[in-house]
Formats: sequence, structure tokens, C-alpha cells
Amino acid sequence: MIIDGYVLAVDRADVDTDQIIPAHLLTGIETSGYGRHLFRGMPGGLELLENAHPKANVLVTRENFGCGSSREHAAWSIRDRGFRAVIAPSFARIFHENAYTNGLAPIVVTAAQVESLLRAERIEIDLAEETILLGDGTRVTFSLDPLRKQFLLEGGYMEFMAKRVDDVRTWLAARA
Amino acid sequence: MPQSLFEKVWEAHVVEELPGGNALVFVDRIVAHEITTPPGALEIERNFGDRLFDPNRIMAICDHVAPAKDTETAIQGKILRDWAKRHRIAMYDIGQNGICHVVAPERGYVEPGMTLACGDSHTCTLGAFGAFALGIGTTAQAGAMLAGCLILQRPKTLRIELEGRLAHGATAKDLALYVISQIGFKGGTNHVIEYAGSTIDSLSMDERMTLCNMAIETGATTGMCAPDETTYSYLRGRENQPSGAEFERKVSRWRSFAADSGAGYERQIRFDVSELRPMVTWGTNPGESVPLDGVVPADASAASLEYMGLEPGTPLRSLELDQAFIGSCTNSRLSDLRAAADVLRGHAVTVPTIVTPGSQAVKRAAEREGLHDVFQDAGALWTHSTCGPCLGMSMGVLAPGMRCISSTNRNFPGRMGAGGRVHLASPAVVAASAVLGRIAGPEEVTIVTTGAFAS
Repeated sequence: MIIDGYVLAVDRADVDTDQIIPAHLLTGIETSGYGRHLFRGMPGGLELLENAHPKANVLVTRENFGCGSSREHAAWSIRDRGFRAVIAPSFARIFHENAYTNGLAPIVVTAAQVESLLRAERIEIDLAEETILLGDGTRVTFSLDPLRKQFLLEGGYMEFMAKRVDDVRTWLAARA
Repeated sequence: MPQSLFEKVWEAHVVEELPGGNALVFVDRIVAHEITTPPGALEIERNFGDRLFDPNRIMAICDHVAPAKDTETAIQGKILRDWAKRHRIAMYDIGQNGICHVVAPERGYVEPGMTLACGDSHTCTLGAFGAFALGIGTTAQAGAMLAGCLILQRPKTLRIELEGRLAHGATAKDLALYVISQIGFKGGTNHVIEYAGSTIDSLSMDERMTLCNMAIETGATTGMCAPDETTYSYLRGRENQPSGAEFERKVSRWRSFAADSGAGYERQIRFDVSELRPMVTWGTNPGESVPLDGVVPADASAASLEYMGLEPGTPLRSLELDQAFIGSCTNSRLSDLRAAADVLRGHAVTVPTIVTPGSQAVKRAAEREGLHDVFQDAGALWTHSTCGPCLGMSMGVLAPGMRCISSTNRNFPGRMGAGGRVHLASPAVVAASAVLGRIAGPEEVTIVTTGAFAS
């Protein structure tokens, strides 16, 4: 799966979930409709989005993205705004898990690679091949969790779990 | 092969090893609150025949915005309530509720060696019982409700040994802030922290919960303390726990959930905390703290300084406040309220002060001791139990530029309201600061004598 990427550079580290979407906006019961709330808690967040390329679909940011709360609304708000990938040197655990189950690729690259990606405008991401092609021809490779990659590309997390119910019951009966 | 506490709990719950270092991990208990549960419950209702793996393993609770503040939050509560009723899930609704991480242990839903998950990052609080308790997203929670399991990468382990008895007015909150300041607010990412050492042995369950509550503030998957007599005493006689010989049989089993000597850890750190003093955050993450006597550091980041409206070198004690808050899953249990009341007794607050007990049961226990009178005599607001001002979601929201000292766990920009400035501290420090209108320690609040010496 290829992403024709337009970069939005969020040139800061430690973007926490309160900045991505503040708690007072977590009042929905659906998993969609949060795009308009993206970065509402981030100082300068609205300007950042106003100045973004209209087709921006890849966030490039610094380390520890998505730290703080478990709210999956953070992943939902980024995805609903049209983003397909977040590229960073590291992610907070819960955000990292949440991204995979919502069609939002959490791509880990080195801090040095982030430096060049923050300056890029257009990139091409091949999720299946796990490579990023920059405008100058530079190729960056990354690796996705092989199991979660399947959920990322095809969905099906809940179906995967549903198929295991009988096995889990068998395991539980043996434990007791 | 000697095992860590975490390894023992983990291995007892792995149902299946999955590709890429993942494991299908069984979840003994799910705590479901009204903000993060409804989308998952609706997904199961619409697409998976409304089937749950085992409703008896779930407890449901309204805590974040409880009672509801508007139509949207009322709908969230209603969906949770209807779902719980339909599946006969134990539901702690308005009047019997509180903050999920306070109510779950209070009602005996957590115990040593168990796995517990909740769509809330501060679920790590319950690691204090020697459980593997972690925060997860809505989808992961829905998967666990449907199939009883989570998919997890096995976390690394970090053993933090804490030696020495807390003195000098230092509390478990100060210990938590100190540990975060030392390992950094992302220093524990993808690790499980095992807290051990003589300091932990000396802590009550309330204190261990305060410490473990802030494990997530290092980025850790969770924090854990091995169970001991303190743990068993807490659980003995609780609701949802057996009594008599059956309980003692469980205790015998729980005793195995201790780290073996010689167990391996990816990282080990040791701190002597016998000289620890009260800590206060000055910045915009929970790792940016200094002792109460300290100053804003010279190497503080420009972004933090600008957001907080501070200059390097400014003494914390000189900072004037607009609000004080005592509450949250970090510090709202009875012992926290007693500590705050001990400072406030006979004094008046000089800034708006909100005191929010962690559960309705804590509230009633506090009132039996007259603590509500102490708070209200001091001019503070004594509320019902809810998450409240901690996350700026319902009441007590800060306006831009307002400076609040708070017994909570996060000081990220906008956490308690857009532009609001949060300083994290212990309940005693918050109480003292509320009296003096600036950041202050309890020793600064003059002891008021009553009776024969009162004028």
C-alpha cells in the first residue's frame, strides 16, 4: 500500500494526548468525527493546521509522540483529519497500539532521519515494503510490527480476537 | 530460572504466542468507564452479536463526568448503564461511584497476580496490589470484552529499589515525583516498573497506589509492588473477596507473587530516599519538578517557561496561585484527605480550593471523621466524587493563565483547561498553598491551638 505523502511537520517532541485532543472534547460515543478537534490543546496547534498543505496526510514529529492518556480519540482525530501515517523516533505505548488499529501507520525512524523528513514536503511511503522515498531519492527503511501491520493494512483486529474466543475458553478451563 | 514479579504474572496469563514478539494475554478483570467504553461496546453490539467473553469479569463505573454535565456526556453514561444492565455487569452508578481506580480496589476487584485492563492510562494505580494492571485504548478494551484477551508486546522490566523511610514531610506523591524527575517522563516507556525495597515495605496501600499511579508518567506500561501483609490486610474482608479459610487460601497463593532473588531485569536503579523533601513541578510534564525549597532550573526549556509564565531562578515558594485542587486517582483516598485536613484545620484558604474525594465511600468515611467540616470551615469546596478538575473535562476548569496547585498527576499544557498552569504536589503541600495563596509547605502554616491556649 503506497501513501502519496504530503508532510505536516510538527517540529516538537513529547506531543501528549491532551495537546492532540483535550479531554473536554471526548464526549462522543462513535469512533469518528474527531478530526475537527485535532491539536486543539496544542499551543499554536490551530495555526499549524491552517498553514498545512491542503493534502497533508503524513505527520512528521519528534520523540515520544502520543504520551499521556489512553484515549484512542487521539488516533481517531489524526486519522479523521486525513492523516495516514505518523513518523517519529518513538511513540508512547498506548498511542502506538491505538494507531495500528485505526489505519494510522506509526512509523519509527531514527532522530537523524526525522531531521530530513521534517524538511520534506512530499514523500512516498510504501507500507507493505516498509520504505519511505524522499524527493531527493533518499530511501529510508522502517519496520512495522508484523502482526499489527495486518490490522493496519486490512483492519480486522476485532475479527482476529473473535476467532480466538473458543481457544481462550479452552485455555481458561485448563487453567482453572 | 529466577523470575521477576512481572514475569510470573505475565507467564500465567499468556494464552498464545503471536508473531512479531506479540502475545495473546488473558485479562482477569476489565474496568469500564463512560468515556472510553461506549464506542467499543457499540462496536460489539453492532458487529459481534453483543457477545461478551464474561460479564462477571467486568465492572462498570461513571467517573469522568459524573453526574453528566450535558446531553453528550449523559448519552455516554446512558450507553454504559444500559450495556451494564443488559449484561448484568456490576455497575457503580451515580451515588455509589467514584474514580474507577479508587473504587476498584475499595470494592475488592483487584488482587495480587491478576491481570487488569481499563481504557484509562492511570490503571497502573492497581499495580500496587501486585497485579499487572494497564491502560489500553478503546479497541483493545473492546477486544478484551469480546475475547478475554489483549495483544501485547512483552514489556521490558525496570526494577526500582527505594531505600529508607520517608521523613521530612515527604509523602508517596513526593516519591512518585522524585522517581519521575530522575528517570524522566519518558524514561520508563515500554517497561514495567517493579518498585521494591524498604521504602515500599513501609508504605500503606494508599501510598503504594499513589506511587504506582504515576508509573505511566514515566511512559511505563505499568508499575507493580509485590504483595505482602499490608496488601492482604487491605483485601481481607473486602466486598468481592471471600472470607475465612477461602481468603487465606488465596493469600497462600498470592505469596508466590514476589520477585525471586536473582531475577533478571533489563534495568535496575536504586535510590536512597531517606532525605527526600516535598517536591513540586514547575514545568509542563510530570518530570519537571524540584524540591519545594527549589527554584525554576537554569536549564529549563523555553517552551515550558513560556507556557508556565516563569523565569529561571524563581523560587517555587514565591509563585502566587489562583486555584488549588485536592483530588484525582493519585491523591483522593481517605489518607490523602486526612493529610490535607491536618494542614487546613483552623485555617482559611485564600484561593478557590476544591476538594474532591476519590469515591463516594471515601466521601462518607471522611464525613464520619468530620473532614468535610474542616474543609468547609476553611472555605474550601467539598464536592461529590468524580475525576473533576484533574483533566479539565467538567468542573473546576482553569482559564488561560490561571495557576493551580494540584494533587493530580499531569501538568501537560491544557490538561486542566486551555492555557491553565498546573503545579503538581502532595495533598499537604496543596493544602498549605491554598492557605497562603502561594506555593508553600505545611510547616509554614502556623499551628493553631484550641482550648486552654486559644485566645
